Amino acid sequence: MGELSELTPGKKTEGYLARRGQVLKACIVLTAKLFFADPQWIIPSIIAPFIFTLVAFFLFGGEASGSSFLLYLVLGSGLMGMWGTTIYGSSNSIGFDRWNGTMESTLAAPVPLSWIALGRVLFNTFEGVINALFILVIGLAWFQVGFGVVNPGLFFLASVSTFLSLSAFGLLMCTVILLSRKGGFITNSMEIPVYIATGTMFPVSILPMVALPFSFLLAPTWGIEAIRLSALPGYTGLTTSYWTDLALLAVETLAYLAMAFVLFKRVESYAKRNGTLDEY
Amino acid sequence: METQEALWKVSQQTPDPQLAVEVIALTREYTTRSFFGTVSRVTRALDGIDLSVKTGELFGLIGPNGAGKTTTVKILTTLLTQTSGEAYILGLDVRKDLYEIRRRIGIVFGGERGLYNRVSAIDNLRYFSDLYGVDPVVARDRIPQLLKAVGLADRADERVEKYSRGMKQRLHIAKALVHDPELLVLDEPTIGLDPGGARDIRNMIREMQKQGKTILLTTHYMFEAEELCQRVAVISKGKIVALDTPSALKKLVRDISVIELRTYGVTGDYVEAIKRLPNVVRVIADLDSEVQTIRIQSPLGADLLSQVTSALPSDAKIIDRTIKEPTLEDAYLRLVEE
Repeated sequence: MGELSELTPGKKTEGYLARRGQVLKACIVLTAKLFFADPQWIIPSIIAPFIFTLVAFFLFGGEASGSSFLLYLVLGSGLMGMWGTTIYGSSNSIGFDRWNGTMESTLAAPVPLSWIALGRVLFNTFEGVINALFILVIGLAWFQVGFGVVNPGLFFLASVSTFLSLSAFGLLMCTVILLSRKGGFITNSMEIPVYIATGTMFPVSILPMVALPFSFLLAPTWGIEAIRLSALPGYTGLTTSYWTDLALLAVETLAYLAMAFVLFKRVESYAKRNGTLDEY
Repeated sequence: METQEALWKVSQQTPDPQLAVEVIALTREYTTRSFFGTVSRVTRALDGIDLSVKTGELFGLIGPNGAGKTTTVKILTTLLTQTSGEAYILGLDVRKDLYEIRRRIGIVFGGERGLYNRVSAIDNLRYFSDLYGVDPVVARDRIPQLLKAVGLADRADERVEKYSRGMKQRLHIAKALVHDPELLVLDEPTIGLDPGGARDIRNMIREMQKQGKTILLTTHYMFEAEELCQRVAVISKGKIVALDTPSALKKLVRDISVIELRTYGVTGDYVEAIKRLPNVVRVIADLDSEVQTIRIQSPLGADLLSQVTSALPSDAKIIDRTIKEPTLEDAYLRLVEE
């Protein structure tokens, strides 16, 4: 055993932004390592996307062979996979600490829980991107979908914005899990309704009027619209304006973030009063 | 009116700069609510405790399960809010300065809690080092040094799930030290460890104190508190029932001697028979092992031996018997049972 006296003094990182950046990096790296350490990652990241794509093509592929509708399906399937991964991964990103026995260690760190959750959620959403890319590759390689994106620059911007909006939504879902030990039930049960409401597979316009307000409150709805407008020739969506979709996406994403940070603060305060956050 | 005045006085307290931990009239209640939100039960886990830990001191907090040790530790480490009273860590208020306190303290949780088992020791330390804002350049040197100091350098890249209980606990120590804290809170750090593993942890605790760290230790093991701590607080039913040096606490039971028997083939009936003997104050028996240990507290000392021996069943055997001075455990048992 070595000597504790030989240790280098533990000098701290200077500057608020540098410290927050360090926390985000640490959480992204740890979440990635934990993700790949669990062999089950193959199911959500490879098998599930493959199934999504197959289902979509069996449903519509034959009728729409050779048309841009195939690309519509591939993009929709990709977003379905991305959403599925985000909702499961993100909502559990802090809940994981509860059953892993690391909740106290996480809560005892000198950084707000929201920043720890944000780092983890960013990686979970990135998992969703890998998932979506895999679907795209299957579509392009196996089903010979032409990837003739109308405006690659705008497509990239819409994709990144959608990624960020999903992360913000995932962060909001984290608070649900933290507030209630039964929160997993709520977040898991949101998966299918959100597929439908955001128009991943069917246009939102075919939904009944009563469902539309819910669709419009979901930032991914505008993200999907912007992605399709930038990718598909002649696509007419809800607003027909790429920038309107992007603006709505940005506003809702910021609202999610603000709500998430406020809720996290309240959850932490509630947990300190009741001392139940580490219970599983 | 008197209560209001007392509360006002408490709120006017200012922390003593010489103290690493200062606790004044600390109270914590847990409220259980019914399905409809009405209060069904209020449990007082801490009942106005006062204690202080000097800078550089190794201070023990001992007590039975449910006495309030963990609640105290959670409040002092900013994980739980008190219902009333004040608590200062390194001169900082646990309610107001939580992030500054967290930056300056290290916590070791006992048992299996607190580590990411699917990644390596080095990954765990890197993660917590970043969360605690250790300069990455410093961490590059400090993490391998810490792993060497706790004897895990050779297995630093292995997943923690492959570690023994003792190795995990040594990693806990390294994790608590990764940001070079001034105060360490060790919550039952040797629980569940084999004797060798527990001895390693105790040596590390001594070493940490030598490095100038203030240490607050909670433990179930009285010999551990006696061996390590300069002062000990005994907590029972949410109240501090004694606070002094281990030797001063032992004086509480100087009126008794302890007969320690090592026996074979003894049952609970024999223990009950000894308890019924005149002048027997208390009997502590460990009958689970093949060779059993029975400690008998009595003012008679050696004079009780003949009665103890004659009560022995014919199929049982006394392997060894010694008359001992009372230990901290004897004092502790008297304190918590009174």
